[in-house]
Amino acid sequence: MRRRNLLRGLALVTAAASAVALAGCNANARNTASTQTQTATTGGTLYILSDAATQNYDPAKSANLATTSLALVHRRLTAWNVAPGQPAAVVPDLTTDTGKPSDDGRTWTYTLREGLKFSDGTPIRSQDVKWGVERSFAPAFTGGGLGYHKTLLVGGADYRGPFEGQRLASIETPDERTLVFHLARPYGDWPWIVSTPAFAPVPEGKGAEADYSEHPVASGPYQLAEYQKGVRAKLTRNPNWDKNTDSVRSALPDEVVFQLGQDTTVISQRLVADSGDDRFAFGASFVSPAQLAQLQNNASAKQRVVTSKSGALAYLALNTQKGPLADPKVRQAFQYAVDKSAYQIASAGSAQLAGDIATTLITEGIPGREQYDLYPTQPTGDPDRAKQLLAEAGYPNGLDNLDFVVANTNNLPEKAQAVQASLARAGIKTNIRSIDRDAYDAEVTGNQVNYDLTLSSWQPDFPSANANLQPLFASSEIGNGGYNLSRYRNPEVDQLIERAQSTVDPTEAGRQWAEIDKKIQQDSPVVPLIYTRNSFLHGSKVANFFIADFPAYPNYLQIGVTP
Amino acid sequence: MRALRFVGIRLVGMLVVLLIVVFCTYVVFYLVPTDPAQQSCGRPCTPQNLAIAREFMGFDVPWWQQFLTFLGGIVAGRTFGSGATAIHCPAPCFGYSFQQNATVLDLIGERIPVTFSLALGAALLWLVIGVATGVLAALRRGRPLDRALMVASVAGVSAPTYLVGLLGILVFGFTLDMVPVNGYVPLTESPVDWAWHLVLPWLVLAFVHAATYLRLTRSQMLDALGEDYIRTARAKGLRESTVVGKHALRNALLPVVTLFGIELGSLLGGVVITERVFGMPGLGGLLIDAVHQHDLPLLLGCTLFSAFIVVLANVVVDLCYGVLDPRARLT
Repeated sequence: MRRRNLLRGLALVTAAASAVALAGCNANARNTASTQTQTATTGGTLYILSDAATQNYDPAKSANLATTSLALVHRRLTAWNVAPGQPAAVVPDLTTDTGKPSDDGRTWTYTLREGLKFSDGTPIRSQDVKWGVERSFAPAFTGGGLGYHKTLLVGGADYRGPFEGQRLASIETPDERTLVFHLARPYGDWPWIVSTPAFAPVPEGKGAEADYSEHPVASGPYQLAEYQKGVRAKLTRNPNWDKNTDSVRSALPDEVVFQLGQDTTVISQRLVADSGDDRFAFGASFVSPAQLAQLQNNASAKQRVVTSKSGALAYLALNTQKGPLADPKVRQAFQYAVDKSAYQIASAGSAQLAGDIATTLITEGIPGREQYDLYPTQPTGDPDRAKQLLAEAGYPNGLDNLDFVVANTNNLPEKAQAVQASLARAGIKTNIRSIDRDAYDAEVTGNQVNYDLTLSSWQPDFPSANANLQPLFASSEIGNGGYNLSRYRNPEVDQLIERAQSTVDPTEAGRQWAEIDKKIQQDSPVVPLIYTRNSFLHGSKVANFFIADFPAYPNYLQIGVTP
Repeated sequence: MRALRFVGIRLVGMLVVLLIVVFCTYVVFYLVPTDPAQQSCGRPCTPQNLAIAREFMGFDVPWWQQFLTFLGGIVAGRTFGSGATAIHCPAPCFGYSFQQNATVLDLIGERIPVTFSLALGAALLWLVIGVATGVLAALRRGRPLDRALMVASVAGVSAPTYLVGLLGILVFGFTLDMVPVNGYVPLTESPVDWAWHLVLPWLVLAFVHAATYLRLTRSQMLDALGEDYIRTARAKGLRESTVVGKHALRNALLPVVTLFGIELGSLLGGVVITERVFGMPGLGGLLIDAVHQHDLPLLLGCTLFSAFIVVLANVVVDLCYGVLDPRARLT
């Protein structure tokens, strides 16, 4: 009898745990509307689910695109006008135009719009923009930002920011609305450069503290109302932002809340379930191929997946400074040997999900891009043509023991295996070396390299062919942390790149970049594989959610919610 | 006197272990080909920008010098940079995270309540469930209940926490809509919401860990129940609850307490996977972010804290032995 009581007591304790789970109901409010409405209205709260632990709102330390989170809080001198089906265009943001060049493109003059105010009510002056740019040079604020301007502005190379008492003479502010930039060399893409985060205004004399990112003075439609590290960032309306002065931001939601540090699988699961606040949410990270495959069986979720038309260029880089690969004819054989359709399958399971086959180095959506194919062949490649080229180059028996290094992330080892198998058909034998991402970055961007081949991808930091080609193919970008992974060195191409960079007329510059694209491909330093598609998932109450031709990310500035 | 000496020796041992942990972390971090300053270099990362970042962050000197500076900072604090933008990290300075713009101590302090709430609640749950079911299974040895519990325990031991977490979210969160699946509410803000948001993670952790305790308690109880002193206790006419609870269970609990101490210590250092799955900003997430972002100061701080908790838990376990087993008492 006593023993039975003891057993009953123990059973009760065990049952208590499950009772806790059964105690509640309606913990996550159910979704009642399953159909998606497309027209956003003003008001409501937009939720952005992010796997990143931090959200940086310090313009000096940011590499954010001009169409994502930072641009909700900070305006820059220029902005990007992006839309599906058309190339990205540079448009004025804080300024009245995209810049007046003089001195052959060495000097650029900007005029600020009238009536611009910071979130604290003070006027935005040219001195504040100058301060913001100068601040990006300070050693305390070098952290991770885009710094293309640092080598272009006269005196920039030795400048260490305004906090040590020195000002940068190459930025003049003759009055409160005029800015004059003096560059070390002519630079036609300067209007794009001033759309990078460092060209957001910071009130003169402010922003010395390391945690400025947690209480920035806003110039955009939203201000940072609350920031909890690793938890969330809450944006509320900036009462001093005037919609009449801003042509690129709709600022539809009343509030934007970033939920930080979320697991990507759980983000997908929550958005598929589409309940409660998650109906007003979207995921900031890509939906993985495996998740996409699962979504195919869920009609509601499938409808809420938005996939970019194009994206980053995925490519096979051939080390042009090593062994037989120094011969352009050998490298051209690779253009025919690679089975790009196999690469698509290895990437995402299908050509549709992976992205279109690439033949150019300039990506889609970039002004001036010309479609061409110097090495026309079937998507599966032409091994016989590759063998023939190798034989002509003096390698009738193919190539042996090529070192093929890849990072062990993002499915790259599997993609490398697909490339390896297709190369083997043409008698090119490779040894895949799959290494940690950090070790990989250190090796391929370092000064001493051993690899013959590697897989990589590149999305430009701003929508100009310059940002497509210069970082990957200028000889100045070999080693020292540069991304010229094929170690391609062609003095003629270097000269052409410099000439195109100096060309102020965008149409003429675009023509020159398209020529450089072909010129580089004649030397075949890389095999373009695909223009990688990105997919994003959003809740049923999110509207105006689109991905333009460039960049392959949703335009945060236009997204709204429906009631 | 013996007790004081014992505690003193353990404390010195703790310090030595922690020093070795910091040293090893430094060495391991510098053996991998990663430059923490690269993260703060910006794009394009020119050699000049990289040199500026290294200098500001204090990575421009040899690793052993950085190690000594780190140890010095614990005693005297540190200052990075100079002038208006200087960053001061007051003593005891366990480093400064340039990625998160905060001292490591502050960052850990912010995350401790989350991880402790998660770990302590779950540990209590799994200890009670594990020991209770273990005793039940031992008392019902060979019967259907015992077999059912053993099958369940195999599932618990074998299932990865990540999978159990996702299944929990899917079933209890989305399908049955019973509990929240995400987020953390501080205890000071709303005790009810605090517990409500922790129910599912507690249960997930309890399911995975209780299985081990069930099996351990069962086998220890079976051994204990077969001992002569149990037969003697029953022969004396003691109540069954006294026989089981005071004589058998107390002896069976010694290895359980050892395991509990070590596991709880590890968990307090960061419940990495559970925190991530349930979007809880705890120490585990902090550690993962530090690894991903090559945030050496934060990585060191998290490792040091985890090591401290594990070592402390071991000391507490040693002291608990004395309570449970009179033979282990120091006089």
